[in-house]
Amino acid sequence: MKDSFRQSMAWLHTWCGLLPGWLLFVIFLFGTTAYFQQEISRWMRPELHSAQVSDVALDAADRLLAAKGGNAASWRISLPPPRGGDALTVSWRPREGSGAEVGEVALDPATGRQIAMRDTLGGWFLYRFHFDLHYIPWYVARVIVSIAALAMLVALVSGIVTHKKIFADFFMLRWGKGQRSWLDAHNVTGVLALPFHLMITYTGLVSLLFTLMPWVISANFPNEDAFYEAAYAAPPPRERTGTTAPVAPLRGMVREAEAAWQGARPNSISIVNPGDRAAIATLFPERTRLAANGPTLYLDGTTGKPLQPPQTAGGALRTQDVMIVLHTGLFAEPVPRWLYFASGAAGTVMIATGLVLWTVKRRARMLPDARPSFGFRLVERLNIGVIAGTPAAIAVYFLANRLLPLSLESRAQWEINSLFIAWGAFLTWASARPAKRAWAEIFAIGGALFIAVPLVSALTTNRGLPASIAAGDVLFVTFDLLMLVVGAAFAFAAHRIACHKPRDVPRRRHRHEEAAA
Amino acid sequence: MTDLAVFVIALTGFALLFLAKPRHQQDWLNARLSSAAGRGLRLAGAALIVASFVIDGLVLGWGYGSVCWFGWLTLAAILVVALNSNRARLLRWVGRDRP
Repeated sequence: MKDSFRQSMAWLHTWCGLLPGWLLFVIFLFGTTAYFQQEISRWMRPELHSAQVSDVALDAADRLLAAKGGNAASWRISLPPPRGGDALTVSWRPREGSGAEVGEVALDPATGRQIAMRDTLGGWFLYRFHFDLHYIPWYVARVIVSIAALAMLVALVSGIVTHKKIFADFFMLRWGKGQRSWLDAHNVTGVLALPFHLMITYTGLVSLLFTLMPWVISANFPNEDAFYEAAYAAPPPRERTGTTAPVAPLRGMVREAEAAWQGARPNSISIVNPGDRAAIATLFPERTRLAANGPTLYLDGTTGKPLQPPQTAGGALRTQDVMIVLHTGLFAEPVPRWLYFASGAAGTVMIATGLVLWTVKRRARMLPDARPSFGFRLVERLNIGVIAGTPAAIAVYFLANRLLPLSLESRAQWEINSLFIAWGAFLTWASARPAKRAWAEIFAIGGALFIAVPLVSALTTNRGLPASIAAGDVLFVTFDLLMLVVGAAFAFAAHRIACHKPRDVPRRRHRHEEAAA
Repeated sequence: MTDLAVFVIALTGFALLFLAKPRHQQDWLNARLSSAAGRGLRLAGAALIVASFVIDGLVLGWGYGSVCWFGWLTLAAILVVALNSNRARLLRWVGRDRP
């Protein structure tokens, strides 16, 4: 096919990188923001003030469930994640034929009082989108994402071979040298965070294991349920007795779980047949440590004591568990979390510069007045709409969170629709304008949108930047300032592109190094 | 505190590895070092990077520590690259602009 090993690797690197490149950019961008998904959720739910769930709130949940769901088939208690961003949510499902309705109430994690929060998916959506996409069935999305991730792994390994000088030129980044600068930027962001890129791609594939290799299950088990039954301990079978007995207090169950999981808390508790002697509570652990999760815990619903000694998962499952924790960084304290974020941003820039490099390289070989091919124009327009447009669309998502009326029907969905409407508009804009202007304009609009986020937030909530500074609210201050920094970086990029003189000294590096931040 | 120490040690390590390359010596030291000196810098730089790993591992545990170490390593290397690629601007800043 090609004459040398390196050339064939270069070919592989180009096409494995380019074809899924825009999807990979989006996955990396959303995945990088997802390191702060709980923080983003806190910002997007300004009605919520406290992060950690208190015993008072758990007691309030006990009372509420006993009052409203006394004769329910099951209860579910969702605890806020460790860094906050959601309420303590309790819900109950009535017994079939009882005529009662499903109910759900959000409680303040600190006081246990009912709170009205705006309808939003918050950072959770940004996280889910990076592997489930949107508007299409999740299993189709995961197949697409799996293929892109496989291509990413191939592109990484072939990239190490192709850019043979990455280790010799380890520290080289030369500004203002056109194609050379783009290549330097691509290499530097690639090689300096290479351990992260390899880890994140590989563990990403591991988390999509059963999408990639469903035959592991189908070859050994009659169906998926049989596999999960064999792999995870099932609760002991217990029939409803008809004898009433009060449900054990939630705070006791949380303590029991903490003892069983070396301090990890449950993220949700479900109770089947509450109020009956045979009630069973199932507790699922929060992933907060760089170790395999504790096993699902089954407690007697009336005594709150374990029904059976927790079963330890097998080696393979525990290995997978650790890899997923490593991927999600859920265990990370603030400092390593920012390091994760920085490496993720480097990966996003690596993909962006790689995509731009494809066009820069081909542009350089073209005659000045030649009309570029359809493929070239397609790549160029997609680059503009995706690299500059996607971050700007995320700014629109944040703005929609503050601007959509609180009473709007399916409001959370409309926040998401806003993101995609804006993104579609940017892509259309990118295809309708001359390339250089399209870059500058979308970066300028993106910059304005990001800068608008803290302003709009200050006008529409009582937790604007001045109020947050006065209250010493580190999270809100950081979020608002970060929006201003990203907005300024976008404006700077737009300015540089607008002033750029292509035939003069080619100084194009600044274009979107900050695009992904 | 561990974080700061690891970062500074890794940064120093990368700076020494950086100066071990003849091309950068010309730029930053205005002279080429002997190959023995270059080898010495390379060894010292590598030793510092290994030391930063050992510190992270011993203090934070080998699992958690190595995750943090990779993160700091990336950041330290990026800083060295950023300093080098803005050399002219930096020199102008400190008022040591050369023709």
